[in-house]
Amino acid sequence: MKAAITVKNKKKPRRLSQRLQSIGAVFLFFLVWEAVVRIANINEAFISTPSSAIAHLLFAQPDANYHWQKNISVTLYDFVLGFLFTAVGGTLIGILIGWSKTIQKAVMPLFVMFNSIPMVAIAPILLIWMGYGLKTNILIAFLASFFPMVINTSAGLASVEDDLLDLVRYLNGSKWQTFWKIRLPSALPYIFSGLKICTTLSVMGVIVGELIASDSGLGYVIVNAQLMMDTPPMFASLIMMSLLGWGMFLIVSIVERLAMPWAFKDEIQ
Amino acid sequence: MSDNNKLLSIRNLKKVYRTRDGELEALGSVTFDVNQQEFVSIVGPSGCGKTTLLKIIAGLLPKSEGEIIVNQDSFDPAREVGFVFQKPLLLHWRKVLDNVLLPIEILKLDRKKYVDRARELLNLVGLEGFEQRYPNELSGGMQQRVSIARALIHDPKLILMDEPFGALDAITREKMNLELLRIWSESKKTILFITHEISEAVFLGDRVIVLSARPSKMVGSYDIALERPRALSQKATPEFGEYTISIYQKLEVV
Ligand SMILES: Nc1ncnc2c1ncn2[C@@H]1O[C@H](COP(=O)(O)OP(=O)(O)OP(=O)(O)O)[C@@H](O)[C@H]1O
Ligand SMILES: [Mg+2]
Repeated sequence: MKAAITVKNKKKPRRLSQRLQSIGAVFLFFLVWEAVVRIANINEAFISTPSSAIAHLLFAQPDANYHWQKNISVTLYDFVLGFLFTAVGGTLIGILIGWSKTIQKAVMPLFVMFNSIPMVAIAPILLIWMGYGLKTNILIAFLASFFPMVINTSAGLASVEDDLLDLVRYLNGSKWQTFWKIRLPSALPYIFSGLKICTTLSVMGVIVGELIASDSGLGYVIVNAQLMMDTPPMFASLIMMSLLGWGMFLIVSIVERLAMPWAFKDEIQ
Repeated sequence: MSDNNKLLSIRNLKKVYRTRDGELEALGSVTFDVNQQEFVSIVGPSGCGKTTLLKIIAGLLPKSEGEIIVNQDSFDPAREVGFVFQKPLLLHWRKVLDNVLLPIEILKLDRKKYVDRARELLNLVGLEGFEQRYPNELSGGMQQRVSIARALIHDPKLILMDEPFGALDAITREKMNLELLRIWSESKKTILFITHEISEAVFLGDRVIVLSARPSKMVGSYDIALERPRALSQKATPEFGEYTISIYQKLEVV
């Protein structure tokens, strides 16, 4: 017991300092960006400084109104729904594929085929079929990100150490028990890494939809600002997009820690 | 001895593995009986098919030829077998206590009723206080002891043990041997016990079965007439030495 306590005490400051390091790295990046633009005297219409981009987000500007609150919430909403849809749908498809070799053989080539088409190329057709709006953007987000989710889930289910299955088999347990008690838990690390990949791909999908046609959202802001050669709001949108992806990534990481406490017991030695 | 006394009859059991490089005959022809409440030790050179034999008995591998006759009147082979595998095979996402309770969940028994028993078994194998740890926080020998507790949790009649104490130090091993004998005699179980250690086989067993190298046959069966309950001091007796030596010589020849 004592040993465990001292180990824990050692861990905390390290974790904290690691966190500080990563925050510091981001901060440094913005600092260098700001400095380069100012010192090299680059025209703000070419590359905006992060400070004026952020100022655009926070304060009303005299010359233009980009309705940040509305546009950010539209993108956020589409993104969260698109991500959840893919997370659940992709995992379920992955389970189906992991469950049956026949299904796997039948649908895998189709998936690979669809996944090989760049999303930007499909989006215009989807827009013709569905018009622009929430449904279309979620569908694009789904198509852009379901593949890694499916692949990771089914690979995770297949990754189980065969000998572990004997534990259920020698007591004549069912296929369901094998799935719930052995396969699914051993697939969790794969599923979570799929979810992490999925966060960034979902942002991309939603933004592609907004860039191609929409009347709101961060992608729409970019198109609009581009027409007016107004770069700070464009950079502001980029920063917001990356924040969205980052935020979801963080949430997934936290859920991962809660769902797999065994994997994070002594990660830092 | 009457047939009713038998728990298992293994007749001309043969196992051929089909591998990419052709056929590999693991079990040549193995024949022996196991009586109820008997403690049978099995020794044999590495790779001779001991694990294979145990897995076939447990229904985890198909046999190639031969017969395994189970006395169904005396026990239910689907629910009353306990298996200690050669590797600990703990589920690393489950705490120690939950690992021990796995068979209870698989057999769909009432988990709550077995929690106390799980704790007792963990005490018995010397793991008091580790119930809420994860397996990766335990040493190899500790993990193997968890797997022993797991194999006993559903109170199986027949226990198959595949080198269960291989990863333990000498002292812990002796302790576990004595504990195992105590459990065996108190709860009237039948045990098939694989080991590399001849003296362990003699010390524990009513009988020691000697298998030859692959393709394996039973080349010897030694009734161990040492007094029960066994005590460590018996290891210093001339009888014990004679058993050990003759089994050793048998293994050397084959
Ligand atoms: N799944 C398998 N496929 C092919 N060959 C196998 C398989 N499992 C075991 N064998 C072969 O069968 C033989 C017997 O293996 P087994 O594991 O039963 O030996 P063992 O007596 O338990 O050995 P040890 O004492 O080292 O554990 C070995 O030669 C091994 O190579
Ligand atoms: Mg073996």
